[in-house]
Amino acid sequence: MTSPHTETSRLRGLMLVAGREIRVRGLSKANIISSLVTVAIVGVLAALPTFLGGDDGDTAIGLAGDEAGAMQTQLEAMGGFDVTVYDSVDEAERAVEDETVEAAVADGSLYSRDGVGNELEAQLDTAWHAAAVQTNLADAGLSDRQITEALAVQPLEWVTLDAGSGEVTPLDYFTGLILSIIMFMMLMTPTQYIAMGVVEEKSSRIVEILLTSLKPWQLLGGKVIGLGVISLVNLVAMVGVGLGVAAGTGMLADLPPGTASAAVSSIGWWLIALVLFGTLAGGVGSLVSRQEEAGSVLTPLIMALSLSYVGAIFLLNAPTSTFAQVLSIVPPFSAIAMPTRMAIAEVPAWEIAVAIGLLALAAAGALALGSQLYKRSVLYTGSRLKLSEALRRTA
Amino acid sequence: MLEIKDLHKRFGDTVALDGVSLSAAPGEVVGFVGANGAGKTTTMRIAMGVLAADSGEIVYNGAPLGVKQRRRFGYMPSERGLYPKMKTGEQIAYFGELHGMSRAEAKRSAAELLEQLNLTDRAGDFVQDLSLGNQQRVQLAVSLVHDPEALILDEPFSGLDPIAVDVMGTALRDRAAAGAPVIFSSHQLDLIERLCDSVAIIGNGRIIAAGRVDELKAKEVKQLRVSVQTPEDLTAALPGTVTRDGDDYLVEDADDQEVLRIAAAAGRVTRFAYDQPTIAEIFREAVTR
Repeated sequence: MTSPHTETSRLRGLMLVAGREIRVRGLSKANIISSLVTVAIVGVLAALPTFLGGDDGDTAIGLAGDEAGAMQTQLEAMGGFDVTVYDSVDEAERAVEDETVEAAVADGSLYSRDGVGNELEAQLDTAWHAAAVQTNLADAGLSDRQITEALAVQPLEWVTLDAGSGEVTPLDYFTGLILSIIMFMMLMTPTQYIAMGVVEEKSSRIVEILLTSLKPWQLLGGKVIGLGVISLVNLVAMVGVGLGVAAGTGMLADLPPGTASAAVSSIGWWLIALVLFGTLAGGVGSLVSRQEEAGSVLTPLIMALSLSYVGAIFLLNAPTSTFAQVLSIVPPFSAIAMPTRMAIAEVPAWEIAVAIGLLALAAAGALALGSQLYKRSVLYTGSRLKLSEALRRTA
Repeated sequence: MLEIKDLHKRFGDTVALDGVSLSAAPGEVVGFVGANGAGKTTTMRIAMGVLAADSGEIVYNGAPLGVKQRRRFGYMPSERGLYPKMKTGEQIAYFGELHGMSRAEAKRSAAELLEQLNLTDRAGDFVQDLSLGNQQRVQLAVSLVHDPEALILDEPFSGLDPIAVDVMGTALRDRAAAGAPVIFSSHQLDLIERLCDSVAIIGNGRIIAAGRVDELKAKEVKQLRVSVQTPEDLTAALPGTVTRDGDDYLVEDADDQEVLRIAAAAGRVTRFAYDQPTIAEIFREAVTR
């Protein structure tokens, strides 16, 4: 008898299952719409700091008098100023009056309509001093080169002794918040879908046909991979839009140090956590036979995920406290807490290594437990299996 | 040759299978008959590897049946199952791929089956939007999509409409004609009678009767049926125990040649044959024995 069959490798089985998840779930109308909405929200959120900061362009400053040239050089070096040099003090004064410029500096006086803000005053003051020093040094006969050397002063380096007391800038907080929200969503969605998918196959009894040509690990593994890929595509879209908007609004340079590397390493953390939560979700999902019961068996996992998220939010206020330290090392909380902490504060390498090790260990344990549970209970139909019953069952 | 050898299976204290053996030769259609709870589904699930036996083995072409060969089998479980939110055509093709077909082969085969089952215009619909009867047809397509080299079907005819019953019956005979061993269970004994070369009757986890349909029938021969065109009543004239069934005489415990001689002398003999039991009668006989 002729047979059209080709050898189905283990990998092909796994990939077929993953491919089905991606086609049926990833390309479903519901997923595409929700992804687009999420991406749009991320885009708006990324642009938010700019709106809140009220940074609406350069400040127009008029200059006149002897120091105009030196002042112009200083202000342009500082950036954020739109400098106009006027021929006379009167002209500069008029420019202030008719609001062409915010303020004007001429012959040692600062002209404004009704005073300037502290920040602008400090900036203009600094520029004025620097310009005056430069002029004085030049008058004293120093060359340009000597002047540059004399003025080259290292800015103060910040050493924060009690960082745990809450020295988190709003931007740091915001960055950490976004990261923890994304991690939470990226774990919550596939976890729920994996459990739902397992219950769907069980309740529709299709699993019996599937298992004649697939091994349980292929079926469970393919689901985790498929839903992982869907989440990753969503993430890449989100991060792409988020970073794009941040770059577009000039925010990117202001992000805390290590944000970019934290964003990249977060994907690694996410992968390990996905194995942890995904395989457990598959395992507990297989304990029930009806979709209505899926929620109850998933509750512990959802609680763990939610606590990880809430913990990470608390951690944002005190990234170097003992609480933060513990939370970011103990799995499964570390899955969200550590990348969040890494994004906003310096974390010792050993802590990161220990956290990765423990999380990977927990994921390996979850993989073993989840796939055993799955293997043993996926063909059992009827009332909900207790965990202990499932583990006693022979596959 | 597909052989199920001496399967034993317990569920807790319940003995589900107590030494079940049956076999299907290439090209042979075997009907698997038994009351509810007799062990049919358990036997078939073990044969398909979705359930492990406590002891016993499944042998295919002389070697223990492995995952690779099993993937080329067609299986229809008693509990039907399809992905409700997957498109019909896509779903059938997906199962083709799972069974080892290439994407293109699977798609082509799915399209052919949809055509045969009059479902071509529903290929793009979700399975959950189909009527129950059409879902059954899709289920049938799923078990046949990969051109299986052996079929194990648990109640394949239950819930099928007459057209689908014909398609299913034709498919079974076609697969058998191509050399596939076919085992299917059914409560519709007329279908078993029409389609099967052999039957295996199971009761309480044991095979209580098995064999070729014609042999079983010959073994379970009942009485001699004689029709004679004569105004006379031959009840007293014929030897043995004679009863009337309409105009026919039913004769038991007598020399058939003598019966024929007496009948022929009385008038024109229009019928002279041993009554053969139907499968249903054999089944009833076997389970009450």
